[in-house]
Amino acid sequence: MQATSSMQSNIKIRNGKIQIKTFNRSNFVLHFILSFLVLFTIVAPFFLEYGAIDIQTAIFYTLDNLKMMFLQPALSQVTLTAALYQILITLALAFLSTLIGAVISFFLAILSAKNLMPSYISNVIIAFNSFIRAVPTVLWVLIFAIVAGLGSVAAILGMTLHTIAYLTKAYAESFEEIDNGMIEALRATGAKWWHIIIHVVLPQTSSYMVSWTFLRFETNYGVAIAMGAAAAAGGIGFELFMASSFYYDLHEVGMITYFALIIALILEFISIRIKNKLIGSKS
Amino acid sequence: MQQVLNKEPINSSVEISKKVQKGEVILKVQDLYKSYNRGTPVLQDIQMELKQGEFISIIGPSGAGKSTFLRCINRMIDPTSGSIVFDNTEMTSLKKADLRKQRSKIGMVFQHYNLVSRLSVFENVLHGRFGYKSTLQGVFSLFSEEEKELALSILDKLGMKEFAYKRCDQLSGGQKQRVGIARALVQQPKLLLCDEPIASLDPNASKIIMDHLKDISETMGITVLVNLHQVDVALKYSDRVIGLNKGRIVYDGVPEKLSNSAIRDIYGSEIEDLILE
Ligand SMILES: Nc1ncnc2c1ncn2[C@@H]1O[C@H](COP(=O)(O)OP(=O)(O)OP(=O)(O)O)[C@@H](O)[C@H]1O
Ligand SMILES: [Mg+2]
Repeated sequence: MQATSSMQSNIKIRNGKIQIKTFNRSNFVLHFILSFLVLFTIVAPFFLEYGAIDIQTAIFYTLDNLKMMFLQPALSQVTLTAALYQILITLALAFLSTLIGAVISFFLAILSAKNLMPSYISNVIIAFNSFIRAVPTVLWVLIFAIVAGLGSVAAILGMTLHTIAYLTKAYAESFEEIDNGMIEALRATGAKWWHIIIHVVLPQTSSYMVSWTFLRFETNYGVAIAMGAAAAAGGIGFELFMASSFYYDLHEVGMITYFALIIALILEFISIRIKNKLIGSKS
Repeated sequence: MQQVLNKEPINSSVEISKKVQKGEVILKVQDLYKSYNRGTPVLQDIQMELKQGEFISIIGPSGAGKSTFLRCINRMIDPTSGSIVFDNTEMTSLKKADLRKQRSKIGMVFQHYNLVSRLSVFENVLHGRFGYKSTLQGVFSLFSEEEKELALSILDKLGMKEFAYKRCDQLSGGQKQRVGIARALVQQPKLLLCDEPIASLDPNASKIIMDHLKDISETMGITVLVNLHQVDVALKYSDRVIGLNKGRIVYDGVPEKLSNSAIRDIYGSEIEDLILE
């Protein structure tokens, strides 16, 4: 009967049932927003203005277009070698921005890891990073386009900036997971700060950094395609843009999409392999 | 160095005091206080003199301040007030470069070994030389042949030479701790601080580690200061036992004179359970 008495003291009961959770303002707000969004999604289509579009024909044409794209892909404006070459350009864009971003991120991550730096320094970098990440890559590219002009330079700058913000956070988090004892042990020998970075932080986190970096490379590949179209950065994205908006050649759009997809799959496959090999071998 | 190479068996307190008097004072702690965040003091009024080649155990209940005291000595933790003179240098006022230099003369061994798990035994042992290196020498691992030979001879002495190229995460606890000791010895320290070196080890591995530590103090003339939880181990190996309770030294003397009532002072009321063990 002790249980009952303790229940009365601090266990919440509502409508005769024991409450598992206690009321909590942030939970309440979260539930409220989620319910609102669900409701909105269900109700909104009834209020949309469709104009003269007949839904049935619209769906039919869409399916027909999709069929043209994906079941009858073909190249007409670009040759196969040209398409492959453009894919190479897109990969190069992604590679360059990932590489530059990764190198800069490594140093920024050291500065923003709480176990390696005083918190007033790390907080500044973390705040700065959050700001960069909050602005979408495309917007950064367009911002850089003001000075660099639309093209690959602006695209690389914008993508690099976003990569830096992303990888700095990822690297810093893996740095912070390092067992503090290792750092303590080296400090106790009289080791310098850089010795600890190179001989503790680097070996303990290198595999995480490689797999995060490759993940970002995958993302940047996707972004590079979009940039080719949106910011005239060249590469396969630009061909895609030309095929769809200039030549209205849906067969070609389909073919290019397949190309891009195959490369993405290959990257994904490599990424998983790297992850399993490096991180799996840790324990 | 000669006086510390004295290998006579130590079996009476008279001989111990003789031996102790031969060594010069390596560490002198006076009026040491430490409190975290201005709370209640964790260490109070600590006075201590350690001599070269001595083997000293600090025993005391959990939370007595043993780890804090050890870390105050090499300034991994800054004491609140008091004086710590190690090797004729006041530690409490040291700034960066000088502090590094002093730290390089103090080895530290940890309960959880604190090895860089993804690096080899050899690499971990050489980490003990960083205190003597410039930034670039350390970053590029520029170790001289003498340093490498020193590392290998120490590994050999500890029976770990055959594992030199093995990754540390593939070693057993006892082996890891021997690497931890090797890393500290390669510093060529004058003082070895061991924070519960055997707390995570089984009795066999514990004996190997304690035997090595004892040997280090006797044959190399290094002062060994060990935090221990096991009273019997402390009694068996130490030249001198220091009992800490609530941040105060309540016993400081030879193990032979550590009476049950003194143990009760150190551990408080939980003592009955301890003696039964
Ligand atoms: N970083 C810290 N901040 C605040 N208080 C601390 C900190 N580290 C230790 N303390 C407190 O100081 C006291 C002594 O801790 P310490 O770790 O030195 O004890 P110990 O004798 O080594 O205990 P154990 O045998 O459990 O290792 C404890 O009460 C602990 O809560
Ligand atoms: Mg402790």
